[in-house]
Amino acid sequence: MGIEIGLGEYLALASVIFGIGAMGFLTRRNMLIQLMSIELMLNSVNVMLVAFNRYMPENHTGQIFAFFVIAVAAAEAAVGLAIVISLFRLKQTVETDKADALRH
Amino acid sequence: MSALMPALPLLILVVGALAMMLVDAFVEEKAELALMSFWIFVVAGGASVGLWVTEQVIEVPEVMSLYLATDRMSLFFDIVICGGGAFSALLAGGYLKEHALERGEFYVLLVFTAFGAIILARSVDLLSLFIGLETMSLGAYAMAGFRRTSARSTEAALKYFLLGSFAAALLLFGSALIYGATGSTNLAAIGTAISSGEAQLHLAIMGMMLMIVGLAFKVSAVPFHMWTPDTYEGAITPATTFMSVGVKAAGFAILVRVLLVSFGDDLSANAETGWPPVIAGLAAITMIYGNFAAVGQSSVKRMLAYSSIAHAGYILVGVAAAFRAGEEAVSAVLYYLMAYTVSNALAFGSLIYMGSRGKEAVSFEDLAGVGRRHPAAAIPFVLGVLSLLGFPPTAGFFGKYYIFNAAVQAGGGFVWLAVLGVLTSAVGAYYYLRVIVYLYMKQPQAGAPVAVPMKSGYVVVALILSSYFVLRMGMAPGTYLDMAIAAAAELVA
Repeated sequence: MGIEIGLGEYLALASVIFGIGAMGFLTRRNMLIQLMSIELMLNSVNVMLVAFNRYMPENHTGQIFAFFVIAVAAAEAAVGLAIVISLFRLKQTVETDKADALRH
Repeated sequence: MSALMPALPLLILVVGALAMMLVDAFVEEKAELALMSFWIFVVAGGASVGLWVTEQVIEVPEVMSLYLATDRMSLFFDIVICGGGAFSALLAGGYLKEHALERGEFYVLLVFTAFGAIILARSVDLLSLFIGLETMSLGAYAMAGFRRTSARSTEAALKYFLLGSFAAALLLFGSALIYGATGSTNLAAIGTAISSGEAQLHLAIMGMMLMIVGLAFKVSAVPFHMWTPDTYEGAITPATTFMSVGVKAAGFAILVRVLLVSFGDDLSANAETGWPPVIAGLAAITMIYGNFAAVGQSSVKRMLAYSSIAHAGYILVGVAAAFRAGEEAVSAVLYYLMAYTVSNALAFGSLIYMGSRGKEAVSFEDLAGVGRRHPAAAIPFVLGVLSLLGFPPTAGFFGKYYIFNAAVQAGGGFVWLAVLGVLTSAVGAYYYLRVIVYLYMKQPQAGAPVAVPMKSGYVVVALILSSYFVLRMGMAPGTYLDMAIAAAAELVA
């Protein structure tokens, strides 16, 4: 029969992806990678929402929530990429630690 | 149609913003979008006042009541956020023209950001909470980076965006955990599930902590404040004004709502083991750090950024006491946010007024002697910093008084917070009064650039309006306090 996949496995997967995203966000200094890490974090939440909904099927709240998260993530990426372009035009780099004009 | 009445302020804002986009695109000669956005905010705020006064009981369709509150507290925050938006629109009208940045997008972004802030403050569901938070934040990121040719403005937007989206992701993860623990995303249903013992408590508590962290970022509480000084300093000043008043007010509104509605049971809100000690700890370090870090600043704008962190600390004192002192503490928080909105709009507005093209006032040195050379320009700044300091008879005095009074009323483990608040406020006297010292008692050094006040009707109107409210709320706080109490009563009951 193979391995039974339950809610616990989905939650573990989502938490691991979220953790990878958070680590990537905190350790990398390339803004594009940081944007991708944020996407990873948001998408791990989608996995979790849909998994919870699968085990609480009275309504579709979790799945609907996931759709909204996808839409919001797209909007966030648009603004984030605009800021990347703006940074690149000024500094010819997308490394976030090169933006240090405001440090004290 | 009448079923949509409770959402009238929201409709006015969104229709107004769309109309402004059309006007900006199709009207040939330069349209006065500053004036237009100011009136949109005034009409939307006026609609909220109207809804408040008429006290109509309107049957709200379920599709709306499940996601957006229509209670007194939401009307109160409509008024505060629209007020902050109206001040920012006027200040932007002067600032953008003076510094040759006038482009229509700013006003549209401002109205949309305020729209998101109102959705956030009104939301009674984790879904509308997240959408409101992102609508507000995305607009604010764009406003922070509005001066695209400036490395400082872009850096401000970058830091705000990165930390803001990280915080939003944490908050979203927390929301998903709460949904999994309770089976619902409705704030009230979450509260019922937790108090009836149906919820998986450990998941719900983890979710609550992540949500507190996410919202602490938005209201810039220490240790989640790292972006605040840089963003406030680098962003153009009208954007900073709205970030420090509208965005912060909405963040506190939803923090109070989530904590009291969803986690207002005796176990979660226990004064020893629940969320109040967590919030109290945040409040304590925020007050200490914000005030002491503001002391060493040489830039007035950066000093005001640290002062806004310190004020977040004072407001958190009220939030921490919200369960124990109930209506008294919540109304103190609401009153403080209103007083802070007018005081901060006045302080930032005065700073804008001090500078003209190429001679923007930024550091304390720039302010040297302005009080002698331009007496009329210096008076509103003095009033603004006195109100931020909490000096009678200004709005800030009663704000602080009610907050610390609520902490004392809550008793037990909260009295020390009030004591700490008063002590750290005394530190505030140093850096607020330093503004007045520079304005009146210093002379600019030879050869140093001298700030010249701008000539702008918009900024003058904003300063007069905010000065009026600062004094009015300081001398006759009754009306405003009654409003705050009425708004708090519905939430606590």
